[in-house]
This record gives sequence, structure tokens and C-alpha cells, in this order.
Amino acid sequence: MIEHAYLIPLIPFFASFIMLFGGKEDPHSNMPWVGIAAMGVCLALSVSVFWGAVTGTVALPYEHNWHWFSIAASIAGRSFVYDMPVGVLIDGPAAVTLVAVTLVSLMVQVYSVAYMHGDVRFKRYFAFVSFFTAAMLGLVASSNLLVTFACWELMGLCSYLLIGFWFEREGPCEAQKKAFMTTKLGDSGLYLALLLIFAKVGSFQLSQIYQFFDKGLMPATIATVIGIGILAGAAGKSAQAPLFIWLPDAMEGPTPGSALIHAATMVAAGILLVSKTYFVFLASPTAMESAAWMGLITAFLAASMALVSYDIKRVLAFSTVSQLGFMMCALGAGGFTSGLFHMTTHAFFKALLFLGAGSVIHSVHTNDMRQMGGLSKKMPLTFLTMLIAVLAIAGVPGLSGYYSKDMILADVWNHDHLMFWILLCTALMTAFYMFRLFFLTFWGDDRDHEKFHHAHESPALITGPLVVLAVLSAFAGAGLNHDGLVHKLIPKPTISVMPGAAVAAPAHASEAKPEASAHQASTEHHDGHLPAWLHMTAIVLVLGSITLAFLMYRGPTYAAADAIKANLGPVFTLLDRRWYVDDFFYALVTVSDKVAALAFWIDANVVDRVFVDGWGLLMRIFAQISDAFDNLFVDSAVDGVGGLGNDLGVGLRSLVREGQVQEYLMYAAIAFSLAATLILTR
Amino acid sequence: MLNLGLLTPDLVLAGLALAVMLADMVLPPSRSRWLYHLAWVSAAGVLTAIVLGLGKPATMGMGSLWVADSFSQFFKMTTLLAAVLCLLLSLDYKALPARHAGTFGALMLFSTAGLMLLVSASDLLLVFVSLELVSISSFILAGFERSNPKSNEGAMKYFLFGAFSSAIMVFGISLYYGAAGTTKLAAGLAAPGPMLILALILIFLGFGFKASLAPMHFWVPDAYEGAPTPVTTFLSVAPKLATFAVLMRVYGTVFPSAQYELQALVALIASLTMTVGNFTAFFQDDAKRLLAYSSIAQAGYLLIGLAVGTPLGLEGVMMYAFVYVAMNIGAFAVIQAVGEEGGYGLDAFDGLSKRSLGLALTMTFFLLSLAGIPPLAGFMGKLYIFASAVEAGRWWLAVVGVVNSVASVYFYFRIVHRMFFRGTRGEPAGLRVGPHVYGAIAVAVAGVLFFGIPPEPLIAGVRASAHLLP
Repeated sequence: MIEHAYLIPLIPFFASFIMLFGGKEDPHSNMPWVGIAAMGVCLALSVSVFWGAVTGTVALPYEHNWHWFSIAASIAGRSFVYDMPVGVLIDGPAAVTLVAVTLVSLMVQVYSVAYMHGDVRFKRYFAFVSFFTAAMLGLVASSNLLVTFACWELMGLCSYLLIGFWFEREGPCEAQKKAFMTTKLGDSGLYLALLLIFAKVGSFQLSQIYQFFDKGLMPATIATVIGIGILAGAAGKSAQAPLFIWLPDAMEGPTPGSALIHAATMVAAGILLVSKTYFVFLASPTAMESAAWMGLITAFLAASMALVSYDIKRVLAFSTVSQLGFMMCALGAGGFTSGLFHMTTHAFFKALLFLGAGSVIHSVHTNDMRQMGGLSKKMPLTFLTMLIAVLAIAGVPGLSGYYSKDMILADVWNHDHLMFWILLCTALMTAFYMFRLFFLTFWGDDRDHEKFHHAHESPALITGPLVVLAVLSAFAGAGLNHDGLVHKLIPKPTISVMPGAAVAAPAHASEAKPEASAHQASTEHHDGHLPAWLHMTAIVLVLGSITLAFLMYRGPTYAAADAIKANLGPVFTLLDRRWYVDDFFYALVTVSDKVAALAFWIDANVVDRVFVDGWGLLMRIFAQISDAFDNLFVDSAVDGVGGLGNDLGVGLRSLVREGQVQEYLMYAAIAFSLAATLILTR
Repeated sequence: MLNLGLLTPDLVLAGLALAVMLADMVLPPSRSRWLYHLAWVSAAGVLTAIVLGLGKPATMGMGSLWVADSFSQFFKMTTLLAAVLCLLLSLDYKALPARHAGTFGALMLFSTAGLMLLVSASDLLLVFVSLELVSISSFILAGFERSNPKSNEGAMKYFLFGAFSSAIMVFGISLYYGAAGTTKLAAGLAAPGPMLILALILIFLGFGFKASLAPMHFWVPDAYEGAPTPVTTFLSVAPKLATFAVLMRVYGTVFPSAQYELQALVALIASLTMTVGNFTAFFQDDAKRLLAYSSIAQAGYLLIGLAVGTPLGLEGVMMYAFVYVAMNIGAFAVIQAVGEEGGYGLDAFDGLSKRSLGLALTMTFFLLSLAGIPPLAGFMGKLYIFASAVEAGRWWLAVVGVVNSVASVYFYFRIVHRMFFRGTRGEPAGLRVGPHVYGAIAVAVAGVLFFGIPPEPLIAGVRASAHLLP
């Protein structure tokens, strides 16, 4: 099946076009089933690839390229042909991600049939979702960074379309603009990184770039610049500090669309890009360390912001940002496997959380958790599935989030102890705010009686996907972790010439290599775990923070929480204002706006007035002067010359017989132009 | 060696322009639309003749003042393509007075012929004369809507600046003559010296006006806004690209700018042009003015290739030039289609996707391509140019280019946003678009998609054409 892997992005791509152009726009259109069927086929293909990889019948990585275009160039006398194939590269991470993306997208689409039913742009929504998924699948499967970048940009476009889907309102319009421009800002870094890679390696082919790095041909400083550029791109797409400002606002889109953005497509793209170009980071410890710190800061800031929000979707958005920070931090700390493992499990439980939240919002028609409460009685299935999701994200033992987060913590512990403690603190905050959300929504008694009265369990098209995702959230972690499967599927890439080791004599390098890799394999096995006491402490602390959330938010009122809020006013304002990062960017935008306005003003007033109108004025003054000059001198001179000419004519007439001066001049002119023509055309 | 045969297509086109003028006298006024058809068929015929003659050695060679090489043939094709598309657009442009159809068609063809001569010129004398042929035709064309005061104002400004730039260029040419003793381009190499450099700078500035490089771009928004839309379309593409062709011939090959240390000047003007164009476009509420500033910025991107000066940069400019024809003409065609009914304000685009989804989607393609978003053709062209800058070690130029293309997304998306995310004023009424506009848009969108997703044919064509005879 793997030789047909190229179909995985192409099928939803064509499906989206069929949905966009086929059929009439109708709130009850049947078109969405085209997209769902297409995604089902993709899921089957992806699962077959994945299963082949698990059972070992398919050898990964699989790469197949087709000719796309080539550029012949000669630089400094040497001739090259830059070959640009287009192709698929399916390695372990790609196989896992393909399954996660197609599965989540399928669930989102099934769910949306019920959720979006009756919307005036029903069909268009599904076309966007399919296109979005297609772009993500293309990014995952591509063997060529140029195609990856194209998909990356298309995804930015899709997020623009999807976030602003309900454009009749003010909020979505602002949010879509913010999302698009913020990610674009990060993209400029990625663009430059790509240009630099191309200038150095002469190829966009991932395997060739890997070879280049593998042989240690890339200078460390250049590798660092490339790594930082890639990180800038990833920070935009994956909402890392300081570019995370767009993600909380992206909530304005339809909730299932948010689930897609947050779980499977947009935000995972940044993490995936870093993992695809991991060798760049291996070659540059600085870039690696930056990734770790960027992730760590993001995880901490976002988790702290989630503590104070009352909007159910916004809490989830902050938690996404925070979890992405976990992944980025893991990648930066050298935990390649754990980062991607967490990305996979996170895709399942975050999709579940969003779809569950959507189910709640669908039922009570508000985002504000203070108007919810006690919904467990009305929506038992949503309640149970949400419970699984919350347990999973909090990292309670046995569920999927536990395995991946545990692995991340272990990797970070082995990297840097300070980082570990900050990350552990963040993990505790995660458990707290997720259960805060859970208790506020489902526990205790109802706070808004009217809303509670109208609440009802959602239809099967909504709860079905919830159940499927709940099963995955519960067991995917254990399943992937079983027998070290995840290590087998997602092995950490290595490069043979590590930075700093380049000085070693080549003769030694060859014999040192097997030893080093053997050493690495053995340590990897040991590194996989935290010390036992730390492990137990972490579990106890997580359970403790869940209990704390229970104590503070179980009842209909939350007096304790309000008391803390009253005492810690400034801190709450700080968190509520999102650490003023938004304000910072607004100030930045305002400044650049002012600069552009100034440029426009100068162009319109100074330049147009002074230059254009001034030129006209100058011309007029000049004309008047010359007119006066004309009247004063020239005219009288002409009269004089006329008189002179008359006299001269009389004199010449006496010199030349029959006096045909014009004729002579004409002959001269003809002779001259003949000569000129002869000379010029010789 | 006169070798007049090399200029056969150019001369045939000029002859056909005269024929259009004569036909105007013969035809009854009710048949005046035939003249447009005659005009675009003539241009298309010459284009076909050039395409068929590609690669035949008989069509290449040196003349006394001109040279026909694959490079000039390439730019003749882009010019003719632009002329054909713009003449198609003018068929469906209602504001043009019907009784001057012959004049209009003839002037377009004269201007095209002038551009064809310009890209072939190997002597500054011919450069100047053909540039004047282009300029004078365009001055009249820009003021063709005589009842529209804006058209008159734009034409007047265009004329004043054109005259000014011509004067500067002539001054440069006279200095060149003083330094080299001839106006032949190749001869100047033997006479390096401060006077020659001064001459080269003055000539560069003269070209700068035509190619709308900052700070010589002031006439652009007014002239573009006032001129009839098909003429604006033509002006924003053909003269600009032909001027770039001459710039490359003079500064890319004959006098490599590195040799005369002009690179810093060119790079500075390139980044200034990009920045001024993009940042001023932010505040435009008129679609034609917005695209006018955008076309200034696009000239800045093209100039990067020239500032780099390597063969890769040269190819990048050629590639982007070709792509630019498709995307800019396409965008202006949509603007014409929309603007003829609702005026050229940006609010005319509100809810276009409901009125005509096809038009809105193609416009999105053009704008995305102008903004350089993959996988459209504009991205490939920009990638080529920026990659050449990085390859030549001109880092900061690539950075300025990338940052600018990111900033440009903002104002291009103002139109996209209005098309898809705003309601119409009142009931969405269907848009009546003439068949010829549709034809031009179809050609343009095919170009944007076809040369972006499989760029191989264009790259191969550019590679084959990037050979200049000295």
C-alpha cells in the first residue's frame, strides 16, 4: 500500500474542489459526505502504512520521487543542475502523524455534519476542512522542503478562511487577520532559512540536506541561523512564545474547526517541521537550546494564563499553547521520541476536549463556564468522554497523556534539572486548570437555571466521534508505549559528525562511531525513565493539584477562588492581560502603522506637493520669466535680426545669382544625411 | 552591415499600426470595433511569427544599431503578450470613445513596436529614440479618456516626468558620447573613467523613471489611476519590463555594475523601491492606486536580480518578468471587470465571491501570486530572485525582500478579505463581464497556475533565452 502513499494528500485535495464547485450551496447539502468518504479512504491508507510499519512488513523510511523541475546554473565557472523532484517521504513519525491527522479530521468532519447543520455556508465549511487537512497531509508526507513550505502557506490560508468563517461578526474578522499576520511574521524566518539551506546545500530534498548535515559540511554558525529561522516559522504556526497571541483569538471560528486547528493540523505543523529538520538542531546546540527554552517559556506562560480564564474554549486554547510548549521543549531537550509521542496523544485528547466543549456549547449556547455547572446530569456521555480527556491531559497514570508526558519529563530531567522543575510546575498547573474547567462545567449544581433547563445530550453524530476519540485518548498511549513500540517507530535521528567532534581526526571517527552509537543506544534505554522517587512524587503532586481544583471549584460558588483572586489582584490582572504580550504586539503594529502612515503622508503631501506641484509651479515661473524675457529682448532682437536679415539678404542676393539659399541648404542637408546614413550603416 | 531583416517583426508591427490607422478612415463608425480586433490580431500574429522563429539562426544576429538575440526575443514575446491581452481588455472597456478606436489601436501597436525596438537596441541612440516612441504613444494613451479630469491630470504628470527623465537620459547619453566617442554600447568598455560612470548613473536614473523605481516613482499612482484601465494594465507591465530588459543589457552584461561599483546604488534603490511601494500601498482605498504602488514594489523585487548581477539573478529577473505579465494583467483585468460597474474604490469588491465566485477566486490567485505565496508562479519567481541574492552573498537584500513580501500580504489580503468576507451593498447582483475580459483572465490564470506548479517549462525557456549577444 505504501507505494500509493502519495494519494493520501491528493484525495482530500480533490474532494475539497468537488465540494467547493460541485452542487449548490444549501444548508442541508449532502456534499459533506464526499469529504468524509475521502477522508475515510485516507484513513484506511494511513492505517495500512502504519500497520505495515508496526508489524515490520514495510521498511521505513520509504521515499519515492517524481521529476518536478530542474534548474541548470553555472556559478563561478562550474555548472550545476539543481534537481527539484516532488515526492513522498514516509518515515516513522510521518506514519504515526498521518494516522493521527486523518483520524482526527474524519472525526471532526462527522461531528461537524451535526454541529454545522443548517449553516448558510454548510458546504463551503467542509471544503475548507478538507483542503486544510490535505495541506497538512502534504506537509507530513512531502520529501521536499519546497512542497512542505507550499503546504505550510496553504495551511495559513486555510486557517484564515476557517477562523473568519462567521465573518458577519466583528470578532472573527479581527481574529483571522491576527492569526494570518502573526504566522506570516514567523514565516519570514522560515523563508530565509529555506533560502539559506538552498544556497548552502543546493537542494530542497530532505534526504540530501540530511546527507549534507550528516557529513558535517554545514558550518555551525550557519546551522544556528537556519535553526533559528525554522524556529521562528514554528513559533508562528505552533503558537510558541512570543507569537502565541493568535491562537486564543482563533477561537472565533466554528468549534470543530478549532478542534482541527488545535489537534491535528495547524499547530502540529510547527512541531513536525522541527522534527523533519531535526538534524539542523543536532548540528547546532544553540538552536537546540533555544527550542527548549522557547518551549519551556511558552508552556509556563500559557498554563498560567489558563488558570484565570472563564471562557471554556479559551482555557482549551491556552492549554494547547502550553502542551505545544511541552513538545517543543522536549524536542529541544533531545527528546525527539517523547515530543512526537506527545504530539500524537495530544492530537486525540485535545480533539476530544474541543469536540466535547463544542457539544456543551451546542447545548447551553454560551462559552462562559460561570453559567454552566451540573451538566453531568444532562449530558452523561459528554461528561464521561470529557472526564477521560481531562484525565489524559492531566497525566493521570494509565491514560495516554501520562505516558507521553512522563517520557518528556524524563528527557528534560536528563537534560537540565532547572528546566525539569519548571516543567513539572507547569504540568501541575495543567492538571489544576483542566479539572477547574471540568468541575465548573459538569460538577455540583447548576448556576444558570434557564440554560441548565434547556441543556440536552447531543445527537449521535456528535457523541459518536467523542466516544471514538475517548477510546483512543485512553489507550493510544499505552498501546504505543507497549514493548517500546514508540521508540521503534519514532527513533531519534542522529548525525555522524556532531558539532565539536569535527576536530577529531577522521581515522578515529570511523572507529569511534559504532562505539558512540552503541553507547547512545544503551543510555537511551536507561534515560527513558525518571528516578523512581521523582516519578512517584510527580504522580502524587498531580493528584494533589486535582484535589485542590476539586476543593476550590466543586460547589456552585467558588468563594475560595474569589478570595485568592482578591488578594492577588495584580497577578491576576497580569495573567488576564496575557503577560502583556498582546499589548506589546499591538504597540509594535501601531508603530509600524504610524511609520507607514508617515510614508504615505510624505508621499501624498511633501512629494506630491513639493515635487509634482512644485515642478509645475517652477515651470510656470520659468515660463513667465521666459515670457518676459521674450517680450523684452527676444522680440526686439527678432525685429532687429529681421532687419539685419533683410539687409543680409539684399547683400547675398548680390553675391549669389538668382539667390536660391533654401535650395542650397536643402542640398547640403541631403548630402549630410546621405553621408550620415553611409557612416552609420557601414 | 545594416541587417534590417533582424527587425522584421518590429517593422511589420509598425506597418500594421499604420494599417489600423488607415483602416480607421475607410471603415464606417459602426464597425469601429473591428479595429480593435485588427489590432490584437496583428500583435498576436507577430507574436506567433516570433515564437515560430525561435531558435532559427536566421532570426538572430547583430545589426548596426540593434541586435536580435534570444534575450531580446524573450522580452519581445512578453511585450507582445501584454499588448494582446491589453487590447483584448480594451474591447470590453466602455469608456473609450468609439470614434477613436483606430487611433487607440494604432497607438498601442506603435508603443509595442517601440518596446520591441527598445529591447533590441545595442546603441544608446536607438534606445533613446525607441523609448521616445513608447513614451509619446503612452502619454496620449494615458489621457485617452478626455472627459475624465483624472485621466488628463495623470497624463499631464506622466508627460512632465517623462520629459524630465528623457532630458536626464539625453544628458547622460551626451556624456557617454563624450567619454566613449560613440553611442554604441560595446564601445564604452574601452573608455572607463569618471565621466563614463556619471553617464551610466544618469542613464540609469532616466531608466528609473520608466521602470518606476523609487524615488522616481511619483507619476505612477496618478497616471495609473487616471488612465483607462487597459492602458494602465499595459503601462504597468510592458514598458516596465522592457526597461528592465535594457537595464539588464546595459548594467548586467555590458557594464557589469560590480565593475563600476554601482551595485550599492542599485541595491539601495531596490530596497527603497520595495519598501516605499509596499508601505504606501497600505493606505490606498482605490484599487488601481493600490496596484500602482504594488507594481512599484514589484519593480523593486525585479531590481534585486539586477543588483545581484549574476547569471542566476538575470534568469530570476526574466522568470519573474514573465510571471509578472500574467499576474498583473490578470489582477487589472478583474479590477476592470469590477470597476466598470461599481467604481474603482476598494468597496466595489465587497462580496464579490457571491456575485461571481470564479472572478473572486481568480483574483485571489493573482493577488496570492503577487504576494509570493506558494505554490503559485509568483513564488517561484521570487524564490529564484531571492535565492540568487543569497547565493551571491547579498544577504541583507534577500532579508529586505522577504520582509517586504510578508508586509505586502497585508494589503493584498485587504482585497481578498473584501471579496470573501464582506457582504454586498444591497442584493448581490450578478456581474456582467465581457467575453474578451474573460479570455484575458483565462490566459493569465493559466499562466499563474501553470508556471507555478510545474515551473519546468518556464525555467527551461528562461535558461534558453538568457544569452545576450554583446
